[in-house]
Amino acid sequence: MKKILLSFLLAVPILGYSQSYQVNLQGQKQTAMGGAGTGVALDEAAVFFNPGAVSFLKKNGVQAGGSAIFLKAAFKENGSNITEYTKDKLTVPPAAYAVFGNPNNRLRFGLGVYVPFGGAVHWDPNWTGKYTVTSLDLQAIFVQPTLSYKITDHIGIGAGFVYSNGKVDLKRGIPLTLNDGTSATAQLKGHSHDFGWNAGIYVETISGVTIGVTHRSQVTAQVKDGDAIFKVPQALQDGFPTKFNANLPLPATSSIGLGFYPSSKTIIAVDANWVHWSKYKVLAFDYNNNSRIPNTSSPRNYHDGGAVRVGIQNMATERLALRLGAAYAFTPVGKGYVTPEVPDANRILLSAGLGYKASERFSIDLSFLYENIKSRNETNIETNLSGDFKTVAYIPGIALSYKW
Amino acid sequence: MNSKFIFRSILAVAVVTAASCKPELKTITPSKGSADFTRYIAVGNSLTSGFADGGLYLEGQQNAFPLMIGTQMQTVGGGTFSMPFFNANQADGSGYKKLSSFTATGDPVIVDVPAQAAIGTANVPGFGTVPLFTKYAGDLNNYGVPGIRLNNITLTYYGNLNPYFERLLPNTSPANTTSYLSFVNAKPFTFFSMWLGNNDVLGYATGGAAVAADFPTDKALFTQLYNLAASTMIKGGAGGTGAKGVVATIPDVLSTPYFTTVTLKALLTAVQASAPTVQAIFIQPGTGAPRPATAEDYFLLPLKAANLIGKPNGAGLPYGLHPGNPVESKYVLDKAEAAVVADYTNSYNATIKSVAAANGLALVDANALLKVYGAGKVVNGAAVSGAYITGNLFSLDGIHLTPFGYAIVANEFIKSINSQYGSSIPTVDVTKYRGVKFP
Repeated sequence: MKKILLSFLLAVPILGYSQSYQVNLQGQKQTAMGGAGTGVALDEAAVFFNPGAVSFLKKNGVQAGGSAIFLKAAFKENGSNITEYTKDKLTVPPAAYAVFGNPNNRLRFGLGVYVPFGGAVHWDPNWTGKYTVTSLDLQAIFVQPTLSYKITDHIGIGAGFVYSNGKVDLKRGIPLTLNDGTSATAQLKGHSHDFGWNAGIYVETISGVTIGVTHRSQVTAQVKDGDAIFKVPQALQDGFPTKFNANLPLPATSSIGLGFYPSSKTIIAVDANWVHWSKYKVLAFDYNNNSRIPNTSSPRNYHDGGAVRVGIQNMATERLALRLGAAYAFTPVGKGYVTPEVPDANRILLSAGLGYKASERFSIDLSFLYENIKSRNETNIETNLSGDFKTVAYIPGIALSYKW
Repeated sequence: MNSKFIFRSILAVAVVTAASCKPELKTITPSKGSADFTRYIAVGNSLTSGFADGGLYLEGQQNAFPLMIGTQMQTVGGGTFSMPFFNANQADGSGYKKLSSFTATGDPVIVDVPAQAAIGTANVPGFGTVPLFTKYAGDLNNYGVPGIRLNNITLTYYGNLNPYFERLLPNTSPANTTSYLSFVNAKPFTFFSMWLGNNDVLGYATGGAAVAADFPTDKALFTQLYNLAASTMIKGGAGGTGAKGVVATIPDVLSTPYFTTVTLKALLTAVQASAPTVQAIFIQPGTGAPRPATAEDYFLLPLKAANLIGKPNGAGLPYGLHPGNPVESKYVLDKAEAAVVADYTNSYNATIKSVAAANGLALVDANALLKVYGAGKVVNGAAVSGAYITGNLFSLDGIHLTPFGYAIVANEFIKSINSQYGSSIPTVDVTKYRGVKFP
């Protein structure tokens, strides 16, 4: 056992996982297995992980669940002796799926509702980096109706149309002093409605190994006429904007996954992802009034993020499944571009979970994911904010499913 | 692959996570290095005292950079740092300037907040009448005295002339007989900061070189006095066993908003709005006849508030627009005078650097520092520059710093001390300090 655990840890540095404000909590089984699931037809969450595998599901079903993200980020300015922490801010991205159609037919239908991008980082309103950001709440809920078709008994293809409903709420301090000695603030909040797609192929090979290949398209979250709420000195208020426009890329992800079945009770899933973060060049805000402040364009210059993950499921009994996974990730954020709204770095992920079949139809799945984002000493090229960042996250999750 | 393995592994994951509940960052180990911060004293002028917005008042004192340093030193064995605060009920101190509004054209309207700590006057024979402030008699670590020049520090009667010094002394003017250098050395200390010399050239510059008595201190005298001051300070005061310290150069006053806000171009643009044919602003230079100003002459900040340009004199000649009624010398530092300021500043700074090196003292190149920040720099996401009011660096008087500016200076002192003495005094969070207050 020790050997196997050790091999997991040694394998970690070559594995990958997506980054920044991408969220990878779309299925409790998969989350418990390090986030792998592209190359296996595990459950209804295949609507997200591989639409091509949906037609291989043996039963129809619905499932709904969520993961509670407890994230804590720390910052210590270079030269200072004070470590500042983000406030506790619980976010619970939901995920729900339905798969229907006759399991004996080649064509099956799916519907998914999930949150592939999001984040909630809340620093103290008066923290060291307040002029860069004090809080960011970001969430994009995707709704994905899906068709999946078995071309042959061993090859399935599938595709889904994605509607994205996004919201963003960004706050920061403005380096102008109000009459009471406190600093001015800005809040930018808005909604977006955008579209994309998700497609995949699933193949059962003669050797028994299953293979999945998927691509989830980029969705560009476009905020039009968002509210720009500037709390600035009264004498200057007229010169500040009230509305803003902004575009935020929610990047495409290409994945390949493999499924191995060493025994009738055991599944091993291995995934590799490529996240096209290099589309995220700048974070730009265009304002409706530029007499006091210009439009801003903050360089991000992300590069692509690569990703591989591995997970294992074992049926301990007829009713109880145990799961385990691990991953390592390379950040898309280059040196000089780390910002406190997403203090990203390479990260190690460890996951575990279990599933319990209460009856033929009802089951419950639990997962626990631990993310350790490495500490990073950075000086931002735009803001000159300079110091150590370190983040950890604890993410327990639960899902209920009903099959027929 | 058996279930027992996975089950045990789940436990292992739980153990790993439980072991690292909150992200931990390596902190610096507090160390005083080769210095001793038991009693730190700050020697200097207005910049040391916390002077801002044209006055010394409680909020400015609370944001004095030596207080920031003294507070940070407490993490590495520093003692209490006492400030000669004005009483809370006299918080406005000497009075100061306040931004009250903007005109329709966007010009700042600046008003005077009256003094609260002025309690009367004294007559000093041979000098005249001086104001008196409420005295401060408590413990003292910040000896900053606004207005003091290096060539004042050995004068035994100076405590009768400068009300900011007088309020720290036991006797009421004109009964004081202690020189500044003796006063700060009357008690032992282990560490000092000394930022002196600014006023030896400042008054000449800010007065438009119009008053002969303001002429910069003789360079040789400056060197002699700076050596005396440094060699005295490193003894650690009466009863002391020696002190380490930090000194700072003199900023380039010509790059402060006091000299950069009112420009020839801005004046001409304003005049041409109503009189498009006007092509020159006439000034009275330090020597010679009135002449048209060039871009190399400096107009001083008070010229704007005085609002004189174009006003006809008795003979009907418009102020500044006719050689017969030029902008007065007190509002102009002409090219030749500016060269004097630069020459003396450079000479003083060469002295300060060499004395610091000779005595093994830490050095803050405040001249270089304020040039860098004055030219524009982003600090933790906040834009900082030498722009008047909006630049976050300089207070409303255009010469002294905002709390934000003083925090930047404090950190530079801390870094210099740490680098010279191998200590690890933590820096302050500059974003906790304000810029100019807006209405």
